[in-house]
Amino acid sequence: MKHQAFGTKSITESVVAFMQFARGHGLNIGIGETQEALFCASQDLIQNRKAFTYALKAICCTSPEERKVFDQLFLLFWDSNPLDQQDQKNRTLLQGLVQKNTNASLVLLGHGSTDPRTTEGKSFSGASRTERLKKTDLAMLTQIEAELLEKISEKLFRQMAVRLHRRRKMDQGNGPVNLRRTIRGSIAFGGEPMELFHRTRSPRKRRLVVFLDVSGSMDKYSVFLLRFIYALRKHFRQMEAFVFSTSLIRISKGLQQRRVDWVLNHITERADNWSSGTRIGECFREFNVVYGKRIMNGAPTVLVMSDGLDTGDPPLLLAEMKQLKKRAKQIVWLNPLKGMKGYVPEAKGMKAALGVIDDFRSAHTLDSLLELENILADA
Amino acid sequence: MEAINSAREIMGSLDEQHYVADEELATVLFLLLRMHKPLLLEGPPGVGKTEVALVLSQLLNTRLIRLQCYEGLDVSAAVYEWNYQKQLLGIKLQEHTPLSVEEKEHHIFSHEYLLTRPLLQSIMEKERAPVLLIDELDRSDEEFEAFLLELLSVFQITIPELGTVKAKYKPYVILTSNRTRELSDALKRRCLYHWIDYPDFEKEKTIVRKKLPGIEQQLLEQVVGHVQAFREKKLAKIPGVSETIDWAESLMTLGFREVSSKAFEQTLGSVLKSMEDISQAKAEFVPGP
Repeated sequence: MKHQAFGTKSITESVVAFMQFARGHGLNIGIGETQEALFCASQDLIQNRKAFTYALKAICCTSPEERKVFDQLFLLFWDSNPLDQQDQKNRTLLQGLVQKNTNASLVLLGHGSTDPRTTEGKSFSGASRTERLKKTDLAMLTQIEAELLEKISEKLFRQMAVRLHRRRKMDQGNGPVNLRRTIRGSIAFGGEPMELFHRTRSPRKRRLVVFLDVSGSMDKYSVFLLRFIYALRKHFRQMEAFVFSTSLIRISKGLQQRRVDWVLNHITERADNWSSGTRIGECFREFNVVYGKRIMNGAPTVLVMSDGLDTGDPPLLLAEMKQLKKRAKQIVWLNPLKGMKGYVPEAKGMKAALGVIDDFRSAHTLDSLLELENILADA
Repeated sequence: MEAINSAREIMGSLDEQHYVADEELATVLFLLLRMHKPLLLEGPPGVGKTEVALVLSQLLNTRLIRLQCYEGLDVSAAVYEWNYQKQLLGIKLQEHTPLSVEEKEHHIFSHEYLLTRPLLQSIMEKERAPVLLIDELDRSDEEFEAFLLELLSVFQITIPELGTVKAKYKPYVILTSNRTRELSDALKRRCLYHWIDYPDFEKEKTIVRKKLPGIEQQLLEQVVGHVQAFREKKLAKIPGVSETIDWAESLMTLGFREVSSKAFEQTLGSVLKSMEDISQAKAEFVPGP
């Protein structure tokens, strides 16, 4: 792959090479775009450097972030001196925007030791073992039990998604009269609408924004919670997901593209580098400032999955949550600690937030996650 | 309509119509005309995206057809609908005439009883290609986007009772979005893409001066200076260019010649639209030079 225009022998070749170069850096460019670029060149736009840049930018980019990268790519390709560049085969020279496709296999996170004792020699039948597992705190599972629970949960989440869909459909009832069909049907009867046809109401899908705490204290729960979120994506019109610990990362794209496992790997790698200490308030502030306007539309339901243990500033957390609440339909806080007997939120952050939360629940077992079905159906 | 030969010509025409455009926008419009590809304009609210379509239609001396999007927009509101009342009357009137059922049906579902909405209107133009403005596309839903995608590739619409309507003159399509949600990739790639951002100090002054030619230099500089400063702060609702123009106009109407604290207090509502922003601005107000 050529990295500079210097190495090409004709205008056509250089334009094509540039488009390939841009594609290699993550811009979504296909043959259609290359053809259009050549068309622009043929329309004499290539005589003026600025005009050509503008034309290509309009063809190649689809967001303001891409446009910024495009400017750098353009300079790099058409301007750089070959003597300064080493010959690099297929290396991306700039930080790309789009994550490359990886197919990572599932890696279960930190589930303690594999303890063969617990699985052999048991005389439980399949059904009761399932029941037991569903009620087990996720933090207490062994490796083998965790794998088993993965399989069970996949099936159960899928069933839940189907139920949610059916419930919504049944809720709707008939829509308004479909005048057009009715009239057409009435022609044969001389204009008397003997039969009324109704419009089917289209389902009003709701929006969901999920915040998942992936700090060390939550890592045993993160896997399941992430799978849970993933299983629900079809039910919602718009689902945005964020993970946070000391800072906020948006994983919505990863979820949409079914790269749940890649996402998990990616965040656990980074989690190791994070110093300890969740800062929930700061993360929410980052959300409100950077994404708030774009995402908090249409009164979404906000789901926060965190144990509330944080080292940040409690008044900040409260202020940012109040800001969220203004545009949210409801805020639901899932706290795995709540599953413990006698848990009362003492951490200042958690206590402060309770005033703003609409629904405070535990999320420490598979059963407790399934119980969320009611909230989600009304979301 | 004379052929437009360069982006420079477009810039000149835009200027004549009091629209301040930079060279990039003019180039992109030139591409729109030459390649006949739709143009997607994204940017924060109030920066002049909708105006581009208005100005383009005047430049081309052609009709502007506007479709305003909202959540739940469907085919009957966007493309066509049958005039049910008229049809019911028509059926009643036909009742005793000696026509067969097929003939009656044919008459009831004819162009006479069809209410055309913007998308259908845009492909039924007889004389020249219109400009089709699809405004605030991000407020509609994915189903509508999918339908639009199909329409933009073939420019024909099938009405079951009538047949297929094909465009004699393909419209020039401009889509705008405030980026309150991500549009589908397929749609974005179908279009030329341009991002219009807030203007800088000099450009904003030029824009305001074009709209309000009688404005005094000092007032202009103070107003624009204040708004540029507002945009740097973390406000709940950042003012767009239309707010700047409104503010300048209100100040002029009330007879203020500079932005004194009294003027500020009285007119802040035309530029800032939320209580917290207004209180914050009042607290931080510093009289201009």
